Amino acid sequence: MSTPADMSDAVIDLRGVVKVYDTGEVPFTALKGVDLTVRSGEFVGLVGKSGSGKTTLINMITGIDHPTEGEVNVGGTPVHALNENQLAMWRGRTIGVVFQFFQLLPTLTVIENVMLPMDFCNMYASAERPERAMHLLEQVEMADQAFKLPSALSGGQQQRVAIARALANDPPILAADEPTGNLDSKTADAVFRLFEELVDAHKTIVMVTHDSDIAARVRRALVVSDGEIVEETVHRPRTERRGI
Amino acid sequence: MSPRWRKVWRDLTGHRFRTLLVVLSIAVGIFAITVVMGGRGILLREFEAVYAESMAPTITFDVDAADSSVVRAVERVEGVRMAEGRRTFPVRFTGGEQPRGVLSAGWDTLQVHAVANIATARIERTTLEAGRSWPPGAGEVLLERSVNMMSEYEPGDVITVETASGTRATLNVVGLVHDINAFPAHFVAGPTGYVSMETLRMLDEPDYFSTILAVAEGEPTQAEASRLAMSIRDDVLISRGVRVMRTSVPEPGSHFLGDIFRGVSLLLLALGVLSLFLSGFLVVTTVQAIMSQQVSQVGIMKAIGGRADQVTWMYLVMVTVYGLFAVVVGMPAGAAAGRWFTGFAADLLNFRVTSYAPPAYVVALGVAVGIAVPLLAAIVPVRAGTRISVVKALNATGMSGTSFGHGLIDRALGLLRGLPRPVALSLRNTFLRKGRLALTLITLTLASAVVMSVMSVRTSILATVDEVDMWRFDAQFYFALPQSAEAVDRIASRVEGVVAVSSMPEYRAVLSRADGSESDGIDIIGVVPESDFVAPRVTAGRWLEPTDASAIVLNSDVVKSEPELAVGTNATFNLLGEERDFEVVGVVTAGLMGPVAFTPSGYLDSLAGGTGAVTRLQVRTPTSEPTEQMRVARLVEQRLEERSVPVAFTQTQSEQRDQVASQLGILVTFLAIMGVILSVVGVIGLTGTMTINVLESTREIGVMRAIGASHGSIYQIFVTEGVVIALIAWALGALISYPMSFLLLDMLETAMGLPLTFEYSWAGVGIWLVAVVVIAVGASLLPAFRAAQVSVRDAIAYE
Ligand SMILES: Nc1ncnc2c1ncn2[C@@H]1O[C@H](COP(=O)(O)OP(=O)(O)OP(=O)(O)O)[C@@H](O)[C@H]1O
Ligand SMILES: [Mg+2]
Repeated sequence: MSTPADMSDAVIDLRGVVKVYDTGEVPFTALKGVDLTVRSGEFVGLVGKSGSGKTTLINMITGIDHPTEGEVNVGGTPVHALNENQLAMWRGRTIGVVFQFFQLLPTLTVIENVMLPMDFCNMYASAERPERAMHLLEQVEMADQAFKLPSALSGGQQQRVAIARALANDPPILAADEPTGNLDSKTADAVFRLFEELVDAHKTIVMVTHDSDIAARVRRALVVSDGEIVEETVHRPRTERRGI
Repeated sequence: MSPRWRKVWRDLTGHRFRTLLVVLSIAVGIFAITVVMGGRGILLREFEAVYAESMAPTITFDVDAADSSVVRAVERVEGVRMAEGRRTFPVRFTGGEQPRGVLSAGWDTLQVHAVANIATARIERTTLEAGRSWPPGAGEVLLERSVNMMSEYEPGDVITVETASGTRATLNVVGLVHDINAFPAHFVAGPTGYVSMETLRMLDEPDYFSTILAVAEGEPTQAEASRLAMSIRDDVLISRGVRVMRTSVPEPGSHFLGDIFRGVSLLLLALGVLSLFLSGFLVVTTVQAIMSQQVSQVGIMKAIGGRADQVTWMYLVMVTVYGLFAVVVGMPAGAAAGRWFTGFAADLLNFRVTSYAPPAYVVALGVAVGIAVPLLAAIVPVRAGTRISVVKALNATGMSGTSFGHGLIDRALGLLRGLPRPVALSLRNTFLRKGRLALTLITLTLASAVVMSVMSVRTSILATVDEVDMWRFDAQFYFALPQSAEAVDRIASRVEGVVAVSSMPEYRAVLSRADGSESDGIDIIGVVPESDFVAPRVTAGRWLEPTDASAIVLNSDVVKSEPELAVGTNATFNLLGEERDFEVVGVVTAGLMGPVAFTPSGYLDSLAGGTGAVTRLQVRTPTSEPTEQMRVARLVEQRLEERSVPVAFTQTQSEQRDQVASQLGILVTFLAIMGVILSVVGVIGLTGTMTINVLESTREIGVMRAIGASHGSIYQIFVTEGVVIALIAWALGALISYPMSFLLLDMLETAMGLPLTFEYSWAGVGIWLVAVVVIAVGASLLPAFRAAQVSVRDAIAYE
């Protein structure tokens, strides 16, 4: 049970979220009343079988999709009540999103892709933006590819650029859908460590993953099955584990 | 430039082929509108201007003889702004200096206007186009420029003329003039020439006026003008002993080509409106297709913080740029084509164009279609793209076909088993994008319907030409003076090649209306009721019978201007100086003869004093082959001239048919040009759609290539898709074209006041079927080529 104290620093709070898809022949309930609270600075991993509802759940948090029922509060904002326009603005500043598939704009170079959220949300002075974008690309070790088009990059490289773009406006929350799914274990590890550093820098991260290795390394792992959170594992803080 | 504007810039410049395609699709719409609507606007404006400047007479009197004092008296009448006299008479003429011995058989007719000083004439003004002597001196002639539509004449040439009384003279052609009030030479198979009064003496013609032209003050209605004409005739002319043969008060401001002009203008307007729709659909299809390709990118931008208005602006700017380019390309091209088209029309209708600038409203319309329509078209998908949830937008990428399996069409396709797999696949592709398919189909269907309707209108016009003539002769001859029927019949029937002859009296009469006013001249022709030289098409009542006496049959042109005349009523004509009563027994189609009435020839002859005189002779030859008709006509003409029967005018049946056809042919030509323009719009539209389909199917093509599809099967898929779309458009278009051509023809009839025979062009449907398949294959080849170039790597590059 959440105590009032817990509530005070909860950045993500889902209450009875139901999602029904009625695009198919028969309506399909992908989320069956999910309750979830994530506190500031937490690193949460969502795991589960393919088709269990992980993407659907993370889309509720990012406001990319609307719940059929229930409430979604992120950073004190009732996400379920915002319209698309308000959502776009809110998301641009509050949540960095990394998709399951690499979603870079094909006609923009790597660095332009990273600068785009700053442009949309009018964050940072325009003169400052290239420098900041370059800095983010350095973080994901993509600075040397900054002026290439996405089509000239490998899948893993594109994924890293997408992460840099997610961080463009320095959002407090990062939502990533299988950010390491297309990466080799070494690169996946690098990405994961980048995430850990971000958590250390007080960001809240929700990440979907299939990789059980990685799932075992997040502080809090939630198992999604058939549209419900069926299991929760809280690992000891990283610092303690390292101490072993 | 900030990243988002850079994206817009790159989308425009990076996809040059696509940008070109979109710009071209929009441009072709602007082009069509600028040509059609612009052409119409220029035509109307310039015609009005030239016609107004020419100072057409309000009233024309044909008189036996009048001098300048009579003209001055007319000018003094209250309500008359100005009056002028001239002498007009036909002569036969031919090029070059002809020796005495050469007979004038086969020469053309020249309508001579003798004017005191044509350079300073205030009524029916002419413009000098080429020449040295202005006004012409004694022995000099100016020719109306449309003579060159028949045979080339230029200043410096010499012509020989022969008057009705047999006097011959050689005249020097000293210039070409444009006279908008003269019948174009190619319409009446005879040019107009202008000489000074001094030249009349050389031709043994009296130097008094035979025509008095008057322009009324202000802008009178036709009724007011008629009243003025009556009072001039009675109080000025008749009281001075001038005999008035004919008083003509045309509807003020209406040119004799007004009917054809209205027809052309109406067709252009109708086609302009249709091409506006067509262009609109084309532009909407293209822009929507481009937008639908961007939906997933819209999703990404929104997911990373792009607001709807920000994203919307990006696309609106992009579309505006497309539109601007299209205006820059389409407008000048349309104006150039419009210039050619208007010049062509101006030559045919014989008027001058002083400015080819398209009217402002056409430019505005072009810009609207080029920019406003694309913007409006873009707003729907952009708003859809920016309003749908991000998840939907993102899902728009990947393999299409999520909605396949539902709907009637899909189920129908499911029934078509046994189709080759690539064909089945392309059909599935075709129906997958239902919205696009609908728009493309509407565009192509509309184009098809218009093209097929145009062909039907053309067929109908040609059918009308065939049915127009109620006479069944091969050649006919008009005499300047009445001749003995017995003599001309005997001379003609002895000519080798003549198998039947028929001669008839014909007198100009005017209808005395109940209110005391008089009609324009109506020719009353005497016919033998049972003669096989006439094949009347009766629309009311009956044709003449051998037992009829004072019965009269009117043609529909008479009934149109004198609506109170109906079958069963009595009509009083002023004929040969006396009022005669006739009983109207029937109405026949007008047949482009102008107002004409028929009465038994025996009765008409008895009214004329029983002299047995005739003014027209018709003959039949064994074949209706044009050269044979011509040969026999020349022989008959020669034989008549040898026996001192001067022929004023000869015409073979094929010449007459050609003349009628050439007037209506103008409409046919215009229709053909329009058909071509609309086909081009259709071709570009289909190419555009196909190309966009290829662009959208890049991923599918890549996957197909990955699993082993050959170049050949990729071609087959896209060409089949194009042909299927075209065939559906053809079938739907054929259905629509039937009522559409009926409607067009009906509007034409009303505009031209000419009954046209509706004949649906099945041949047109067949021709368009072939054309549409060729077009579809052509339009799909380029996109198919591009499709075959898609590599697997390109297709799956970013996902
Ligand atoms: N647009 C949609 N319409 C209908 N059903 C959908 C839709 N999107 C997802 N689903 C269904 O909802 C369920 C959950 O889908 P979701 O994408 O959340 O799964 P996931 O856990 O992310 O799977 P994966 O690990 O394969 O990405 C699936 O059974 C899927 O078939
Ligand atoms: Mg998923």
